[in-house]
Order: sequence, then C-alpha cells, then structure tokens
Amino acid sequence: MNYTVRDSTPEDCKDIMRLIVDLAEYEKMANEVKLTHKELEADGFSSNPFFKCLVAEVPEEFKSKEGHTLVGYGFYFFTYSTFKGRAVYLEDLYVMPEFRGKGIGKALMSHIAQIGRARGCVRMQFTVLDWNKPSLDFYSSQGALNLTATEGWQLLRFEGDHLEKLAQSAN
Amino acid sequence: MASFILRKAEPKDVSDILRLIKELAKFEEMEDQVILTEKDLLDDGFGEHPFYHCVVAEVPNEQQSSEGHTVVGFAMYYFTYDPWIGKLLYLEDFYVMKEYRGYGMGSKILKHLSNTAVKTRCSSMHFIVAEWNKPSIEFYKRRGASDLSSEEGWRLFEIDKQYLVKMSSEE
Repeated sequence: MNYTVRDSTPEDCKDIMRLIVDLAEYEKMANEVKLTHKELEADGFSSNPFFKCLVAEVPEEFKSKEGHTLVGYGFYFFTYSTFKGRAVYLEDLYVMPEFRGKGIGKALMSHIAQIGRARGCVRMQFTVLDWNKPSLDFYSSQGALNLTATEGWQLLRFEGDHLEKLAQSAN
Repeated sequence: MASFILRKAEPKDVSDILRLIKELAKFEEMEDQVILTEKDLLDDGFGEHPFYHCVVAEVPNEQQSSEGHTVVGFAMYYFTYDPWIGKLLYLEDFYVMKEYRGYGMGSKILKHLSNTAVKTRCSSMHFIVAEWNKPSIEFYKRRGASDLSSEEGWRLFEIDKQYLVKMSSEE
C-alpha cells in the first residue's frame, strides 16, 4: 500500500483533530482534549505558527473503514536547549491502528528529523507514557534514550488555578 | 540588599546569559554538556523568529557580585503547543546566582513568567526538574506545580544528532 507524507494545510485541521482525539483515547485521556479544529487552524497557520504538522495520506482506494484518507500525523515545534541550542520537539506521533506495520510512523519521524536537521537542530525530544510498551520499544529501536531513567528528569506543570494564582501574585 | 530589576534580555546580555547557563549546568553536574556559544545565543534569540525568550535579573553596580557581575539571574523560555489544550509556556532554564538567593528574586521571576503565560493565553507552564533536586521540586510544589512524571507516568526521551542524521537519511 502506498502513502504520502506531506505538510498539513488549514483544510486538514478537522482530520488532524480527529486523530488527536484518537491518540488521546489510546493514552486513556480523551476527556482532556479541549482544543477545537478552529483553534488548531488559528494557531498553526498564521504568520507566526505555534506548531507544525506533517500528515500521512493514502489514496482513495485504500481509505479507512470510515472513509478517511488522512491516516497519521506528526505534530512538532522548535525548542531550545541551553546546553546545545536548536532542538525539535515531537509532540504527537500517531498512525491509525489499521494502517500500522507499513512504515508510516517511521516515515513521519524521518521527515521531521530531516526538517529538524535542515533547521540546524541537534536533537529531537518527546515524552512517552511509562506503560506504553509498543511505543517505548519503537523509539528505542530508533536510537532514543530514556532521559527520565538515565538522568532522573521529571516533567512538572503549573496550570489552571495554580497558574492564575501565581500570575496574580506578580506586581 | 534587596534592589534588583527584571528586564527582557538584550543582545548585549549574551555573554552574561552563557555564564549563568554554565553555572546552572555545573550545579546540575552537566557542565561539560554545554556546547552553546555566545554567537548561537545571539543568532537564535534575537532574529525575526527567535527560538527562545529570556528575562534577566540585574542588580545596581554597587551590589555587583564578587567577580564584578550585575546580571545575577535569568530565565529562558519559549512557547510550545499541546494538541489537547493549545499554547503552553515552556520554562527551559531558571537560575539565580548563589550569593543572591533568599531575596525573592526567583519568586519574582517565576511570577513574571506566569504573568507572561496568562497574558499570552497559555493554558499551562511546563518545565523539567531533576528528581534529585529536592530544593527546586519543593520550591515549585509550594507554588502549586504538579509532577506529571509521578502523577501521569510521562517519561522524557531524546534522540540525538547521530540518530537524527541516520533517521533522516533513511526513507
């Protein structure tokens, strides 16, 4: 089965949102998705985009059971390391279950690695849930290192009321 | 000693920023990993599409450090994106020189950042902390931060340059 990997367009946002929800369901956190495809469009396709997204598409004759041709996506943006400089952050990587095992996930990642290298990035970072063995295995096979395990990094967050409270105490 | 100002970093600050980056790296026992140069900081932070934003804490001349520095603290951040909720502020580095701690500088910087996050309509501020760094973890938790590695099981991964090159050349 052939497929293409290409940069997304504003018109893809509905499909991207569908896949984002699919991935959130897999991660057992579907109820946390608050974003709409309109916000995705506004934030990703202005003159100063907050993210970039590659999509994987199959021809009509191979469309999914529900009639979709957009079957995977790789969501990324550029970050900065004070140790090494420019980096690319892979926020989401997902391929619909019926299209797995064909190299689509790897192709999405390769393209993002290529884009990152063209922009002068020295590393790609991402987070994975500790129970997600298929993904942990896939990334290890690509040469990824688990920095939480080897260096002890913990991911923290200020959000909602705590962020507001902290902000309001600034004068 | 109590007077200091917080201001946006300027191109002339890159030498001080690099000095503080190296001090923080030394504290994290990773000093030899800093390969960033002043030129990188200049190119990457002060162009048309900066990779990072930076605020610095400065004391008056009469309160300069034992080595004659007046820029005594900094925070480096950039905007990231969560496909579930939208824009986030990511705090990459945050540091105050040892001789200037205990005067509320760190607190002030964090409040300033959370204010920036709220003003730019970010849903959350994220950052990573080394699990052995108890003083910092306590500092953040006292202010309402949640540890997503322990609460949700997120693990930070990295694919570095040699594997990025390998991946981007495979098709």
